[in-house]
Amino acid sequence: MNGVRILDALSRVPQELTIHIIMVVVSLAIAIAVSIPLGVFLTRPRFKKFGVVAMNILNIFQAFPGMAIIALTMPILGLGLKPAIGALVVQALLPIARNTIAGLYGVDSSIKEAAQGMGMSEGRILKEVEVPLALPVILAGIRTSAVYVVSVGTLAAYIGGGGLGNLIITGLNMLWVEFLIVGAGFGALLAIAFDRGLSYVEFRLTPPGFSTK
Amino acid sequence: MSDLLKYMVENASIILNYTETHFSLIFSAVIISLLLWIPVGILISRNEKLAGIVLGIANTIFCIPSLALFAVFVTVPFLGLGRSSALLALVLYAMMPMVINVYQGIKIVDKNVIEAAKGMGMNSGQILKEIQFPLAVPVMFAGVRITVVMSTGIAAIAAYIGERNLGRLITEGLTRNNIEMILTGAILVALIAIFFDTVLGAFEKMLVPKGLKIRRSN
Repeated sequence: MNGVRILDALSRVPQELTIHIIMVVVSLAIAIAVSIPLGVFLTRPRFKKFGVVAMNILNIFQAFPGMAIIALTMPILGLGLKPAIGALVVQALLPIARNTIAGLYGVDSSIKEAAQGMGMSEGRILKEVEVPLALPVILAGIRTSAVYVVSVGTLAAYIGGGGLGNLIITGLNMLWVEFLIVGAGFGALLAIAFDRGLSYVEFRLTPPGFSTK
Repeated sequence: MSDLLKYMVENASIILNYTETHFSLIFSAVIISLLLWIPVGILISRNEKLAGIVLGIANTIFCIPSLALFAVFVTVPFLGLGRSSALLALVLYAMMPMVINVYQGIKIVDKNVIEAAKGMGMNSGQILKEIQFPLAVPVMFAGVRITVVMSTGIAAIAAYIGERNLGRLITEGLTRNNIEMILTGAILVALIAIFFDTVLGAFEKMLVPKGLKIRRSN
């Protein structure tokens, strides 16, 4: 251990952490904006056929390793922060879209019928019945995505995305233990913070009668 | 596209070699995880307090970015660069899917079935061995499937700490800016992961007893 190096590593933390958080938040926001409407669209009765197909495709891609996504992004989008965000969006899309579809499919059809019987329009059923009931499942998808994205975000440094991965790469290249521990430690803390924070949101937004777990 | 095929053919022996190391790392990690985490899962299914603690730890470890976990193990003197660090990290990541699935598999066994067994005079050890464990097998297998697929992806990242596997094609390709190399590595890793997922998924469906299949689908 070398005191000067620890200070050096720590002094780089604010900047790298900011980039990392920006990377994660931006890619999550884009992924949410794309995949929730997509999930809603695919679960409408008219497009039910596509929904099943899409679900199967998403299930296959679920197995796609994060590092492969990062590696495949480079030849297509090049190097830098934007390509890194692009790769992270792809990574984040799948769990959210998958959980949106699963959550909306999971809403009891008798509840939807009851809403119809009350004279609700399709749009209102979606807004006031389906989405609120599917919300816990959708949020669980967002949480999974957030943890993935923080994790894969460290790899994004290899395609010039910056972030905490930079510290780890420096540490690995120079075999500087201090950089490794500082980079890895803040990476882990960030992932755990996202996980716990979002699980609290999930807990608060779950309707009381709905939490069977 | 033709460049890619040319690269693959020219470097077939290296690619094969890397694939072999990749598989051997996944295989050892999965075997160790099975031996370690199934007993842990069974243990915590009988002790709720312990279950909370162990599942919390598993969840926390699972959150740690893989590159970060590898990086931390590199700094531990007797682990260092290479296989032992990679193996330990993979086994720790497997804790979450394995332990949770063993635990839940045992927990979701129908209470009536257990009551019936008790009525037949079985003790708790017998109930575990002859009823809970066999009925939990499909759920446990789902955990194994997740572990295998996940390990395939994370093993590639271990290339950064000196593992010579398919991930190395990606890391070296990125350094040398050799696109064919990157594509070969990424495509092979992804294909292997999808292959494992599909095959083990089909196998998982076969493991579910007929009577349970109907109930699960509801």
